[in-house]
Amino acid sequence: MLAKYVARRFFASVVVVLGVTLITLVLMSSTRGSYVPGIDLNPALRPEDIARLRAGLGLDEPFYQWYGTWLWAVLHGDFGRSMIDGSPVIAHILERLPNTLELTATAIVIGVLISVPVGIIGALRRGSKVDHSLTVVSVAGFAVPQFWMGLMLILIFSVTLEQHGLPWLPSSGAFSAFNGGDLLDRIAHLILPATVLSFFYLSVWSRFIRSSMLEVLSQDYIRTARAKGMSERRVVYLHGLRNALIPLVTLIGLELPGLVSGGLVVEVVFGWPGIGKLAFERALQYDYSTVLGVTFFATLLVIAGNLLADLLYGVLDPRIRYG
Amino acid sequence: MPSAGIETGAARPAQSYWNESWERLRANRIGVAAGILIVVLAAIAIAAPLFSALLTHYQPEAINLDETFAKPGLKHLLGSDEIGRDTLTRLIFGARVSLGVAFLTVLLSTTVGTTVGMLAGYYGGWLDDILMRFVDMVLSIPAIFLFILMSILFRPNPVTLAMIVASVGWGAVARLVRGEVLSVKERDFILATRSIGASDARMMLRHLLPNVLPVLIVAASLGVGQIILVEAALDFLGLGIQPPTPSWGNMLTNSQSYFFRSGFLVAFPGIAIFITVLASNLFGNAVRDAFDPRLKSH
Repeated sequence: MLAKYVARRFFASVVVVLGVTLITLVLMSSTRGSYVPGIDLNPALRPEDIARLRAGLGLDEPFYQWYGTWLWAVLHGDFGRSMIDGSPVIAHILERLPNTLELTATAIVIGVLISVPVGIIGALRRGSKVDHSLTVVSVAGFAVPQFWMGLMLILIFSVTLEQHGLPWLPSSGAFSAFNGGDLLDRIAHLILPATVLSFFYLSVWSRFIRSSMLEVLSQDYIRTARAKGMSERRVVYLHGLRNALIPLVTLIGLELPGLVSGGLVVEVVFGWPGIGKLAFERALQYDYSTVLGVTFFATLLVIAGNLLADLLYGVLDPRIRYG
Repeated sequence: MPSAGIETGAARPAQSYWNESWERLRANRIGVAAGILIVVLAAIAIAAPLFSALLTHYQPEAINLDETFAKPGLKHLLGSDEIGRDTLTRLIFGARVSLGVAFLTVLLSTTVGTTVGMLAGYYGGWLDDILMRFVDMVLSIPAIFLFILMSILFRPNPVTLAMIVASVGWGAVARLVRGEVLSVKERDFILATRSIGASDARMMLRHLLPNVLPVLIVAASLGVGQIILVEAALDFLGLGIQPPTPSWGNMLTNSQSYFFRSGFLVAFPGIAIFITVLASNLFGNAVRDAFDPRLKSH
């Protein structure tokens, strides 16, 4: 049953991945004429040189031929070479991936560590002052633009502190260019971007855990547990929390694609050398092969995240059957 | 207890779903306040030239190199930027972009999403398969990549920007509408309507659409805040509305270079975005609680 379900999901996913790369390429090939802006205006290049450059990059082929070539190579594990610097696309991705993972994983861990207790407190003291103020924080978290929160943190914790001669936090990059790179230096660089990213997770997840907890606590088996004299602590943590956390697994699974795209704006604001920033910069330079590679990779993460969340859901909640 | 039922019936006349929802919405004080704030902001956006003529006395794109980085004061109420343009005037004109694009995006994505979802849910079969696989694809592309690619392709102005953002947003609406149509389709009144020979178009427009409307209204009002955030982020990245036209997002694009000169330049546009999105979200929540009590959060 499960194997059949996974197989069906897998085939649906293949169709989706093909469609996504095709859409991406059609969009990019529509902009193809402007690849390397101004190449036609450069007096140092003769028309035949331009033609040779274009042909070398496959820009004169119709897009379906380009797509075919690209797809065939990808099936053999070759993502091609960057059109800007000629180095393998996969090398770019693998170079940036650890930085993105470092940032996102930190933000997710902080988000879970804070949102779970916050959600439980909100549910247990529903309607209290604490609950109301937590709600306000979370509602605010939904409305703050991430990039602006980043700018404000830089303004306060880097610029203003530095102006007043106080110890300040670095605002750009993953480590210092000079004498940097040790653990403390990396943590210092991580603080501001991870705060922005985890604040968003926090405001989404804490609401979610709160309502999930409230729902679980109103179930019959909780009443039964209380009726047979179980201590409130055991009821809440043993029976309540375990079931209330199930939906969180799905939410975190759905954040997997955020590894690449969710952090893009934050990576750009903080000059964080991650995958999102890579895609952003390369798209502005019309580097198709790199953008296509990153999009392909990101789409795989979306699909894997969805599938993983569904499967974990089934493991944690045996009532769910895959049909 | 039949008598009790009659008594309450006499005391409180039967109301239509829409009347009841409207009453529930009006009773929500936070929701009403947020709604009024949005209407005020929209009015300011529409009357922007009036404000710049009567209140601020500056044009949004007027450069004055003698008054760069002015602090907030009588001359420039919210200060001025690196080339002496008045911040308040630019914020007022920026509201046109943010709100205009947001409303247009919601309109576009709801229209397209409803059409697709309705067709897929009503006809089912291969049409449903094809349309929904396409929706899967659209929703699987990390949206930000699609936005980047399309803003390179189309030079963004408010209308194309709305189309770009809506090109992703319609997918979720289509899924939602399809789900509703599938459940409404099974009800007896649809069978009855079909048996007296109603045409497909009449079935969809007169009988299915009104039943889908509550979900649509809720989805649309919850969507506005998110769209304002997305639009502002695109402007900030340089992929949206291009300078010198002011937008709340592109006013922040270069602010990082002027951190040491004026923190106000960073603060004010963000506060404008924050307040607007907050009001939209609170209003959206109130609409959800009023129109779809099933979804009410605890």
